[in-house]
Amino acid sequence: MPLDEQRSAPDEALLVLYANGDAVAARVLTARLVPRVLAQAQRLLGNRAEAEDVAQEAMLRLWRIAPEWRQGEAKITTWLYRVTANMCTDRLRKARGMGLDEAPEPEDERPGPAEGLQERARADALQDALDRLPDRQREAVILRHIEELGNPEIAEIMEISVEAVESLVARGKRALAAELSARRDDLGYTDDG
Amino acid sequence: MMDEPENTDPLKSYFDAGKAARPEPGDALMARIMADADRVQAERAAMPAPVRPQRRRGRLAWLAAALGGWPAMAGLAAATVAGLWIGVSAPAGLTGIAQELIAGGDEAYLIDLDPDATFVLADGGL
Repeated sequence: MPLDEQRSAPDEALLVLYANGDAVAARVLTARLVPRVLAQAQRLLGNRAEAEDVAQEAMLRLWRIAPEWRQGEAKITTWLYRVTANMCTDRLRKARGMGLDEAPEPEDERPGPAEGLQERARADALQDALDRLPDRQREAVILRHIEELGNPEIAEIMEISVEAVESLVARGKRALAAELSARRDDLGYTDDG
Repeated sequence: MMDEPENTDPLKSYFDAGKAARPEPGDALMARIMADADRVQAERAAMPAPVRPQRRRGRLAWLAAALGGWPAMAGLAAATVAGLWIGVSAPAGLTGIAQELIAGGDEAYLIDLDPDATFVLADGGL
C-alpha cells in the first residue's frame, strides 16, 4: 500500500500489513504511536531515559504480537497504554524496592520566553505533583486529563469499572490540587492562565 | 460524571501546560524502534511456515470416508440395527407372510400389464 494511503489507514490495518511483511507500515505506526507511548511513560516515570526504554520495549511487544493480533477485540492504542502502564508500574515498584525513588528530573531542552518559562514551571510542578500520587491515581489522571481519553477507554486500559476510574480521577485531582496549591504559594506565581 | 466543568477546574492551567510540554521522541529513539520492527519482521520471514502435523487416519475413519462420511455411516448403522431388530423379534404375522411368499399359494394372479395382453394371451403369446 502506498505511503499516502497508509497515513490514513487505521492502526489495526497497518499492523496486519506489517505482519504480512509490508515495509512501510511499521514506519507509519511508529510515527503515530511512539509519541503517545513516550509521553505516557515519561509522565508515569518522571524520567526521560527510562521512558524511552519503556517506549522501545512496548513497541517491540507490539511488533512481536502483530501476527496474532485479533481484529476487533481491542484498539491498539488501548493495548499499548495498558502495556506501557504495566511496564512503568513494574519499574517504579522495583525502584522503590531498591530504595531508588529519587529519579532524575527530566531535562528541559527548550528554553523559551518568560511566558514560556511560566508554562514550563507549571508543567514541571504538575509532573512533581503527579510523581507524588499513588500509581493508579496518577495513571488515571494522566489518561483522563493529559491524554484526554474517555472514561470507558480508561476503564478498559486499567481493567477496572468506569465508576472506579471516576473515583481514581477525583481522588487524584483532589491530591493534585492540594499539592499544587502549596507549591503555588511557595513559588509565588498566579494561576490566572 | 464527577469531573468539574473545565472552566472552573483549578487544575486546568496545569493540565494545559502539561499537554503543551508533551515530550517528543528524538530521531535516535525512532530509529531504534524502527530497527526493532525490521528485525522482528525479518526474523519472521526467515522462519519456515508452520507445518500442521498430519494426523494418521484410523481404519474406521478410512471406512467412513469410503462410505461417504460420518452421516452416511450413521444411516448405515441405523439400518443395520433396524434389520437386526426385525430379525430377532419378528412378529408372528410377519413370519406367516414370509412363508406364504416363499412357499407360494395355489392361486395364480394375472396382472394386466397391457390392454392388448388379452389378445396376446388368446394367441398363446404368453
